[in-house]
Amino acid sequence: MNYNRSDLLLADATMNQLRNAIYHLARFLNRNGVDNLKERLRQMGRNISKTYMKYWIPVDNVNLNNIREVIVTIYKNILKSSVSVELNEVEQLIIVNDSNCPLCKYQYNDVEVAGCEIILGMISEFINMINGNSREKSVLLLEPIRVQESKALGNNSCVQIFNYKLGGTR
Amino acid sequence: MGAVKWLMKKITKVFGTNTSSLFYSLLYREMLKEINAITHDEELSLLVMREIGKKSATESCERHSSIFKFMPGTPEKVLDYFEILWVVVFGKELEDLSYEKIPKENSQYNDYILKIQNCPICASYGTAPEDTFDVSKLSPESEGMACGLCGMLQSVANFILRIKQNEYRIRMIEQKCMAKGDECLQLLCKVYDYTEWQEFKATQKKEQLLSKVYLEEEDEEFLPKSKLDLVDKLQDAFSLDKLEEIIDEPLESIKSRVADIIRDKLGMEPEHFFDYFRNYEDDMMRIIGFLFIHLLNEYGSLVEKLLENDTIAKAIGYLFKQLKEMILLFIPLDVVNDYHTLLINFLDGLAPSEMVENIKEFSGKDDLNYLFEGARMALEDLGIDFSELKENVWEELKKEREDGLISADPSMIDKTQERVPKIIQIIQELVMLLTEILTLPIRVAISEGHYGVKTAVNSVVSEEEGLAGSIRNRFDKIFDQIQELRQ
Repeated sequence: MNYNRSDLLLADATMNQLRNAIYHLARFLNRNGVDNLKERLRQMGRNISKTYMKYWIPVDNVNLNNIREVIVTIYKNILKSSVSVELNEVEQLIIVNDSNCPLCKYQYNDVEVAGCEIILGMISEFINMINGNSREKSVLLLEPIRVQESKALGNNSCVQIFNYKLGGTR
Repeated sequence: MGAVKWLMKKITKVFGTNTSSLFYSLLYREMLKEINAITHDEELSLLVMREIGKKSATESCERHSSIFKFMPGTPEKVLDYFEILWVVVFGKELEDLSYEKIPKENSQYNDYILKIQNCPICASYGTAPEDTFDVSKLSPESEGMACGLCGMLQSVANFILRIKQNEYRIRMIEQKCMAKGDECLQLLCKVYDYTEWQEFKATQKKEQLLSKVYLEEEDEEFLPKSKLDLVDKLQDAFSLDKLEEIIDEPLESIKSRVADIIRDKLGMEPEHFFDYFRNYEDDMMRIIGFLFIHLLNEYGSLVEKLLENDTIAKAIGYLFKQLKEMILLFIPLDVVNDYHTLLINFLDGLAPSEMVENIKEFSGKDDLNYLFEGARMALEDLGIDFSELKENVWEELKKEREDGLISADPSMIDKTQERVPKIIQIIQELVMLLTEILTLPIRVAISEGHYGVKTAVNSVVSEEEGLAGSIRNRFDKIFDQIQELRQ
């Protein structure tokens, strides 16, 4: 009998080749006229979250008090990566620094987008779906802003930036 | 499963970049959907996915080519090592695999059918609204969802054959797919000679379907003509399948194999070869220690990469120093001397008698010291600065706290507190492992004395109760701890 997706939650997979495949996909999409590559990658991340959440959810709701821990937990559980999360309450930004991003390792001269755009989409969707249609003022919604730095762009680590809004209901 | 295969799988898995398998499987699905959004043709999408899989695996292999130099070099043997390929590509253990040989007339090698009962790509496929790639549109002859994985496996297998200068190539075709309703994932592995392979590739280029999309041209395959480095010279003699055979053989067979290797590869008689080390026997021991570390490093420069991190370099440096100082506390001198006798027996007949006599004058303790000196030189080469190390690791930790190098941020303290017990556990497991390995001659001697050779062999090789099982368990624990630490 084959695995089901719950079984896959308990196992680890090595990303080395699929990580390379993301950049070959990016080349393929570019060559075939796709001009919104970042958005496509983020949409892939969102779709991953939608399915993933059927099998695993870290908490019931996310607010300003637990957002850092929730993000760290999601990265740790799904991406097996230890990240640091910074909260900028003035600009309402969340800055995630990942020195071991599983989707970015090498710089490619012919690809100008980072694989972790996928993660940007995935994390924001994960948080937004957890909070769902809550009208509680304390819950928060996340919007991907940009990949500030990435190993795929020649930096030493990946820095992903999100904007947050308090108050629920998208 | 052979010990070398098992170890290779563990190493590959621990030192790869991991994610949860569910993330992997969903990312793969999303990639396939993106391709389909361009092609609007499910069968063409699978072909593109296969091409992307092939390219990404070749890219990965080229980055770590030295690892593959130790893989066996014929199509039959490569398929025998399919489990390793699967772990290299997917990072997950292959739990249920069966082979079927398809005899092929007028060919040196047979074709194979591989049946895999657990396919991570097809797991629960079709149960989520996001599973929009429509497998029902695929014709029965078409490949299935795992074709990208199939392309990856094919590329890794062919990369090994290319690097081993074998002129045969393997094509892997996904014949059955569980998402399509088949009972298992079934791969047909067809073996081609080089001319057939070139012809096949030429027809593939003309394939109507693929020409509908813009796909990067595949690089021309080259056949390396000359062997370059030490590893290249040794790869035929020390590939994984040969190592498995050697490990299973008694001393006399090993001696005869080593003699053959020296004759074949170096073109001289073993006695002449060892004669170079006559009166320099201590240096020979140091060279063995030195080469051992460098050979370990040949597996994808893993040691060197580990030592690039200052903290890990220091930790390994302390572990090494500690091991050198404490080794005789853990291991009875008799055991060390048994190994010394084993070395003498090994050299007897291979090396000049004068050299054997000189080595007889060393003690087991001398052997150990020389080996450690050689290994230390290699570790220094690879990045450990032993002159910087304190007397012991606790002084180092104390120093760092005074200097404030360990961050005061509570999360960093948490991290350190989480890591230290794991490091200590790894050290403990390594020491225990070493102790167990070094009890080998005593176990053999006692068992041999009491129950004869059969019991002796069983006591060593039994996976459940014997030394092999115990060592394997210990390695399992070490690899688990390393994997946790890396995360």
